[in-house]
Amino acid sequence: MHLLPALTLLFALQAQGRTIAIGADLAADAGIRVGDTVVVSARPGEGREAASAGGAAGGGREVDTVVVSAIVQRRADPSEIARNDYRVRLHLDQLQRLIGYGDRVDRFAVGTVDSAATERALRAIDDAAFGFQAYRSRDIAVETSTTFEVVSRFHRAIGVITIVASAVFLLCILLLKVEERRRDVGALRLIGLSRWTVFRSVVIEAAFVSVLGSGLGVLVGWMTSAAVNAYYQSFYRTPLRFSIVTGDIVIFSVLLSLALGVVAGALAALRLVRTAPLTLIGR
Amino acid sequence: MRALLAMAALRRHGARTLLAVLGVAVAAAMLLCMVMLSAGLRESFRELLLSRGFQLRLSPRGTLPFDTEATITGASEIARVLRTLPDVTVVSAVLGGQLHLERGDASVTSFALGVNPAAQGDYELLSGRDALAPDAMVVNDEFLQATGAHVGDTLQVAAGYNPQLRSYSGERRLVVSGRARFLYLAAGQSAAALRIGTLQAMTGRARNDEASLFMVRLREGADVEAVRRWIQQHVPRVDAISTAEAMQRVDERLSYFRQLGFILGAVSLIVGFLLVTTLVTVSVNERVGEIAVMRAMGISRIHVVQQILLEGLAISLAGAVIGLGLGLVTARYLNSILSAFPGLPAAIDFFLFQPRSAWTALGLLVIVGIAAGLYPSWRAATLPIATALHEEAVA
Repeated sequence: MHLLPALTLLFALQAQGRTIAIGADLAADAGIRVGDTVVVSARPGEGREAASAGGAAGGGREVDTVVVSAIVQRRADPSEIARNDYRVRLHLDQLQRLIGYGDRVDRFAVGTVDSAATERALRAIDDAAFGFQAYRSRDIAVETSTTFEVVSRFHRAIGVITIVASAVFLLCILLLKVEERRRDVGALRLIGLSRWTVFRSVVIEAAFVSVLGSGLGVLVGWMTSAAVNAYYQSFYRTPLRFSIVTGDIVIFSVLLSLALGVVAGALAALRLVRTAPLTLIGR
Repeated sequence: MRALLAMAALRRHGARTLLAVLGVAVAAAMLLCMVMLSAGLRESFRELLLSRGFQLRLSPRGTLPFDTEATITGASEIARVLRTLPDVTVVSAVLGGQLHLERGDASVTSFALGVNPAAQGDYELLSGRDALAPDAMVVNDEFLQATGAHVGDTLQVAAGYNPQLRSYSGERRLVVSGRARFLYLAAGQSAAALRIGTLQAMTGRARNDEASLFMVRLREGADVEAVRRWIQQHVPRVDAISTAEAMQRVDERLSYFRQLGFILGAVSLIVGFLLVTTLVTVSVNERVGEIAVMRAMGISRIHVVQQILLEGLAISLAGAVIGLGLGLVTARYLNSILSAFPGLPAAIDFFLFQPRSAWTALGLLVIVGIAAGLYPSWRAATLPIATALHEEAVA
């Protein structure tokens, strides 16, 4: 039922000429919309000359007048992140003719049913191939993802530095927080509370503060992540997600924060319970 | 006197002060790294581009140098036209390609540059002779290591290789005349340079006299932008890229690192500020009675303010000094990670130390130290003396 209007549109477009699909960034920058007619050529300037000459190419140059049938969003491909070049998708034969490539292609993509079939296909193609070689998509992905491995290692190193800085910060704040309560703790000790009870209460308080702080941190992190994605997706014009807050990351952050808080609280509490109660209240 | 009192207040809680200094040191280290990162890549790239004195690079229209396999035809004619410009002193045409050598069962592939050895800007000769003869080539250490060859050896090389048929095309016998360091190559990349005419003949690019790139050196004081515009107008097949423009394009591609540097630098400053502010505020709260007594004895507000500002400043400065050393070590480690970034010349440093970076980081930390002391010093200066003394006496 829904195919009919689409087919009608397709036939109408084919009747006008060949169709192409262009990237959303090119469409936005050049003000091109679906249905517009454009002149394409393989060399800069030839399209403009042909357009001013009424669409006719001269001097053996290949140009084509085509209709924009679709505007496509760039794939979320990390390897293309820093490339600002525009993308146009043409029919294979049309591009071959435009660039004088003959009946040649750069590569074939072959779909297989499962990994065993992939292995068989690889062997069969390589045995029979004459002038080309088959690769697994996974192997190519590994080869092309070096940039992101480097960036990932860099991020991990920055992460470790951040954790060290956070640990020192947390230890310092908890030490201050505990020391602020010297008089209270001194009074509690004087009315009979044991060292162990004081120690536990300080550690529990530190753990509570850490969990509360890490909860707030997760919220701030989630909002920052959304802002980072919004900014870089718009900057690089890609649907790629640059920052992801996953359940694992949240659990790791909360647990790390809790562990740091407990250690910092325990160190501060130890200092406190080792001091005489009268000294704590300033006598 | 003020400094003495400030130091005494900090020494009173040694562990706390030590932790704060440590916290500021980590923040300072991060700040220095980020200042080095935001300026380092740009400066390092600029130094590399200008290291051989070529201010302009001409690549096939719509491409960056060696970004694609596109070439510029009629290289000699373009070079002739460029040399007629009064501001142009040297024009160096470069052709990129590959060299293949058979070594046992394996084939070694190396990057090849076709250059005019008398006017090239791609490598520095380390030993031996330059590739002045048509059958000579200079190679880097990675090439010698990969092939097991030595300077003086004659090698059978080819410009094309078909792995399926195991057949070579464009074969020549070339003598390794010298050892060189290639300036724009990534780490570990093996390379050879030979005369451009030889490589053109081997790759079948002699017929159209093709080149991948032109490097243009201008006379001292020449208007680079004017020459660039002239070339852009009169040589329509090329894009003329000045050093400033090349840096701008690199900035666009690697802007992420600059932005990251800015964000993490700002976060480091905020963390340092919060840490010092908290510490000094708590310290002031603990010394309310002491400050009230000082004020009751006739010590001026400004004296109290200065003493507390000095406390914040002392923590920031001590942290900064330790942090700068720590930052240099961290930057070296982070640089070693990013030096594996594919496609970038090995000579580029992401983290480049410049005295200006250290002064900037130190200046920012001093400002943070002073700013961190403002609130607690204001609290101390506006303390109601009688109430504070009364409360202290009751406590």
